[in-house]
Amino acid sequence: MEKNQYELCVKVLKRLEKVGVLKDVILIGSWCIPFYKEYFAGIKYISAIKTRDVDFLIPNPHGIKVNVNIPELLKDLGFIIGYRGAKGYIKLEHPDLVVEFLSPEKGRGTDKPVPLPKLGVNAVALRFLSLLTDNVIKAKVEDFEVLLPHPANFALHKLIIFQRRFKEDKAIKDRNAAVEILRALINKGDTTLLRHVFNSMLPKWQKKVIAGLEETKEKELLSLLFAK
Amino acid sequence: MGVIKGVLKEELENSIRMKSGYERELSKLPKGSLVKKKVKGHEYYYILLREKGKVKFIYKGKVSDEEVKKYREVKEYRAKYRKLLSQVKKQIRFLRSTLRGKESI
Repeated sequence: MEKNQYELCVKVLKRLEKVGVLKDVILIGSWCIPFYKEYFAGIKYISAIKTRDVDFLIPNPHGIKVNVNIPELLKDLGFIIGYRGAKGYIKLEHPDLVVEFLSPEKGRGTDKPVPLPKLGVNAVALRFLSLLTDNVIKAKVEDFEVLLPHPANFALHKLIIFQRRFKEDKAIKDRNAAVEILRALINKGDTTLLRHVFNSMLPKWQKKVIAGLEETKEKELLSLLFAK
Repeated sequence: MGVIKGVLKEELENSIRMKSGYERELSKLPKGSLVKKKVKGHEYYYILLREKGKVKFIYKGKVSDEEVKKYREVKEYRAKYRKLLSQVKKQIRFLRSTLRGKESI
């Protein structure tokens, strides 16, 4: 299934690239981890557990210029529209992958989906996602590039959100992914960069990161990264 | 609960939802497939379908190229959705049997 999943994910990315949507979205969630391989080339790096969920972050939902119906675009690959919850969040479902769109929550936030009429879908607005849009890298996939959050931002974001998870298993999964990426960054020699990303965060968010690291009992990481 | 077990449980819920989704999409497709018959040198179209186990031909006469294309697409989608539905059913069986194990995974 894993090979099929990867191939299907690449097909989805390729289609989004062809219609000009890929440049406006950032691949986040567990599916961006396999694409970090290029960044961590030569570093001991184990890819975390991937679910079927392929999450695309749309930093600026109102800035999308292209008019493409994404459910139609992916229909012949076998994706169907699935509605979740009372508010009607849209997911594009396939037995191998589930595509979902997310956007950073603004202001007080809302539990309503963010409409993306030009794309024929909607997005889930979530807190802390702006951390993933601040610093992005490009990963080469076949003959095109996909935007990913910088691994430092990815790891720090995971450290914040694992504490907010209702399900314990999901929290552990996020926590493990964060620790794994942090270790890989240190092995790569990116400690200074990691500190820089941390220092550029809001003080409130920094506190959450520290609380997350304390909870992981990774004292070594904590002292190495944020020693004054 | 172990991380893997939690992931599998969530995937099972997703698969069950997906099964209903494919069943819904299949029910939305028009029934039957378009077949061409040659009668006394003239070509006519029929809708071939099965009703209560019996094969039935419904006369359509001459149809536009557009309609022929539409029925071809419907046939392709029906085959695709059936294949994916069968894949989802297999996933559900696999996930249920895996989660039924008493030991934590």
